[in-house]
Amino acid sequence: MHELLIMLNLKAQSFLKRLFVFKWTQFVQDFSSLLIFGGFAVGVFALSRSTTMYLLNEEHIGQFLFHRFLSMLLYVFFITVNLGNMLVSYATLYKSQEVNFLMALPISHTKIFLIKFIDNFFYSSSTLSLMGLAVLLGYGSCFDLPWYFYFFTIFFIMVPFMLIAGIIAVLVLMSLIKIATRIGVRWLLAIMVTVYLSAIYAYFKIINPVRLVQDVMQYFPNVNQYFGDLDPPFVKVLPNHWVTEFLYWSVNNDYGRALPHFVVLFLMMLGLMVVAVLVAQRYYYESWLVASDSHAMAASPRARFRLRMFEFGKERLFTSQTEVLFKRDFWLFVREPSQWLHLILMLLLMMIFIVSVGALELKLVQPFLQAVAVLIVFLFNGFLIASIALRFVFPTVSLESDSFWCVRSAPVSMKRLYWQKLLIAILFVLPVALLLSFVSVSMLRGHALVVLVTVACSGMVALTLTGLNLGAGTHFAVFKEKNPIRIASSQGASLTFLCSMLYIALVVGFLVAPLHNYFQLLITRGMVSIGWVYVPLLSIAALSLLVFWLSTSVGLKAINRDV
Amino acid sequence: MIELQNVVKKFGSLTAVNGISLTIEKGRFFGFLGPNGAGKTTTIKMLTGLFHPTTGFCRINGHDVHRDPVPAKMSFGYVPDQPFLYEKLTGREFLYFVGGLFKMPGELVREKIDELIEVFEIGSFVDKMAEEYSQGMRQRIVLSAALLHDPKVLIIDEPLVGLDPRSARLVKDTLKRKTRAGLTIFMSTHLLEIVEELCDRIAIIKDGRVIYEETLSDPADPKRKFNGQLESMFLQLTK
Repeated sequence: MHELLIMLNLKAQSFLKRLFVFKWTQFVQDFSSLLIFGGFAVGVFALSRSTTMYLLNEEHIGQFLFHRFLSMLLYVFFITVNLGNMLVSYATLYKSQEVNFLMALPISHTKIFLIKFIDNFFYSSSTLSLMGLAVLLGYGSCFDLPWYFYFFTIFFIMVPFMLIAGIIAVLVLMSLIKIATRIGVRWLLAIMVTVYLSAIYAYFKIINPVRLVQDVMQYFPNVNQYFGDLDPPFVKVLPNHWVTEFLYWSVNNDYGRALPHFVVLFLMMLGLMVVAVLVAQRYYYESWLVASDSHAMAASPRARFRLRMFEFGKERLFTSQTEVLFKRDFWLFVREPSQWLHLILMLLLMMIFIVSVGALELKLVQPFLQAVAVLIVFLFNGFLIASIALRFVFPTVSLESDSFWCVRSAPVSMKRLYWQKLLIAILFVLPVALLLSFVSVSMLRGHALVVLVTVACSGMVALTLTGLNLGAGTHFAVFKEKNPIRIASSQGASLTFLCSMLYIALVVGFLVAPLHNYFQLLITRGMVSIGWVYVPLLSIAALSLLVFWLSTSVGLKAINRDV
Repeated sequence: MIELQNVVKKFGSLTAVNGISLTIEKGRFFGFLGPNGAGKTTTIKMLTGLFHPTTGFCRINGHDVHRDPVPAKMSFGYVPDQPFLYEKLTGREFLYFVGGLFKMPGELVREKIDELIEVFEIGSFVDKMAEEYSQGMRQRIVLSAALLHDPKVLIIDEPLVGLDPRSARLVKDTLKRKTRAGLTIFMSTHLLEIVEELCDRIAIIKDGRVIYEETLSDPADPKRKFNGQLESMFLQLTK
């Protein structure tokens, strides 16, 4: 216990020092982060509040149905926290220099596991927790709940809820590393992706939201009563269900029925923690040894991926510098499982999104709803593009890592390096964005002109977000960090993502009125001239150009910094 | 030729290098000595374009490293104190990569790689991924990369760290041979016996300033000058 406290104290001190030792540059960076995070949190609060008000007061869906929707959101949140913790904990628990150092000290492996687990949990869940708090405040403000409700819900409901996701993540990770030595990493990853996708699919299949809405709405207008009998038995053992049950009974001032759900949640967290410690006692060191052995964890030692065209030493198609820089990036990408696995996951997510949009039976006649449908699809496209850019473009300069000395001391113009990185990133992001936008908006049975406008806007969004992420990624480059996932979840990355969201919101803002007018005129006059597209497109182009220029200027300046 | 003129490097309030001026002629083997934290690596990083000097300038073969970086960098090879490689590339791929950065024709890169494999005896591991290399293996790959394009100047920061005695001998002999062929070497090291054995010019740096400089009139026999006394002199000067 003594060593554990010393280590935790050390970590707390280094965190506090960073907060309280004054440095101008750090202050400016922290203050801007605070402003953007704060602004985003306010936005999330407002969205949460207005959505709750709208669903309860305008759509009259009733508290039960509202909390079931919340439960579905929490399930997705749980999976996100779980996956996030699993991905980051591989780097924190197995690949960090600190673990190498601690393993050589007379500290028990279980304590090292606990220290790194706490470290990992705070690292990978802090931003999500802040957003969770904003959502909770927005939700609670609709029910005039007392201050202690928020306090209790954050520390005794949300923290245990997220801890359960985090503990399950490390338990799965330890098992996976054990299994990986037998079946190989690639097979294991394929199985994992299948299991997680099946879990999401099965949950929504069992819940069947459409049937649930129909069943509850039969009782309209008495939809505020409790319809617990409609819940399938399987969901009653899920932590997201316990959280929503606690919230449902709390907002109805029935604490007697709320508290048992808290007790179950808390006991589950404690129980899982004990299991994690016991498993770590037995397997952490063993799995750490396996993970440290590059041969054991090699992606596929027998069949090394070869593509002759990209091999070094083959005939050159471009100038030597362009070619070797491209080939290096290509091989570093394909030989790093976390890179291509994430790419596959994101492409899968996009496919699920497109298929879901295609399956929507939207027969909307109201111009407002038609515009909203297009904008929501566009917004989600933007969100996907922003996520792809954040995950794959933001880390590119950081991934030059400690080996950047090699390029920096070579006769390579840094401007050229930057533009080449930008070009490759655009060649990757732009087609994905255009295709996604074209297919998803076409599937809404949209009009050709609307498809054209949204595709053009998506193109601009893709170019801008690529420029923004590369520029910001260069400015916030962390050459000491080799894990792209950690780079893409750093403070700079979160800030960039929020800026991306702000930019997308502005783009959507430029499109709201023209799209609404377009659909309105289409109904009243039967046809519309093309004139309506110029103003929004030009405004979006001007905004995009400004963001792109600013980001590129920042990036070009930063790439020449001392390394 | 290497030229540093009144070079200063400040990190906030800390002055790491404080007005260093040095001129190293072609074909010299220059030993750059100093205690830990004296500013050796910072100077080397400025010389190789990794750091910008706060004031002053660094020239290599007449080209300012910061104003005219591409031609300046074309003429030198660099071996850093920590031989970081791309973990997911093999040594051979890394050498091809460096050859491409220096705009060498493909055929020439192939020939030079084969030659360096022989010189530094790296054949047994050059086709394995760098993540499997020991410190000494990395050091030999980085040395090969630095010599790949036949530079006129070689800048090396602690070249013998992690090398076993046989590899160290190999490196020393190669460097000696290269200096005789006209290569200018700027070497930072803590190993004084290496300096005594190889260098024909030395400078000792302390707190960012050069406190001692010596050029040997007979570069063929530096030992005669120092006569094994470099260690006591160094300890006296850097006290």
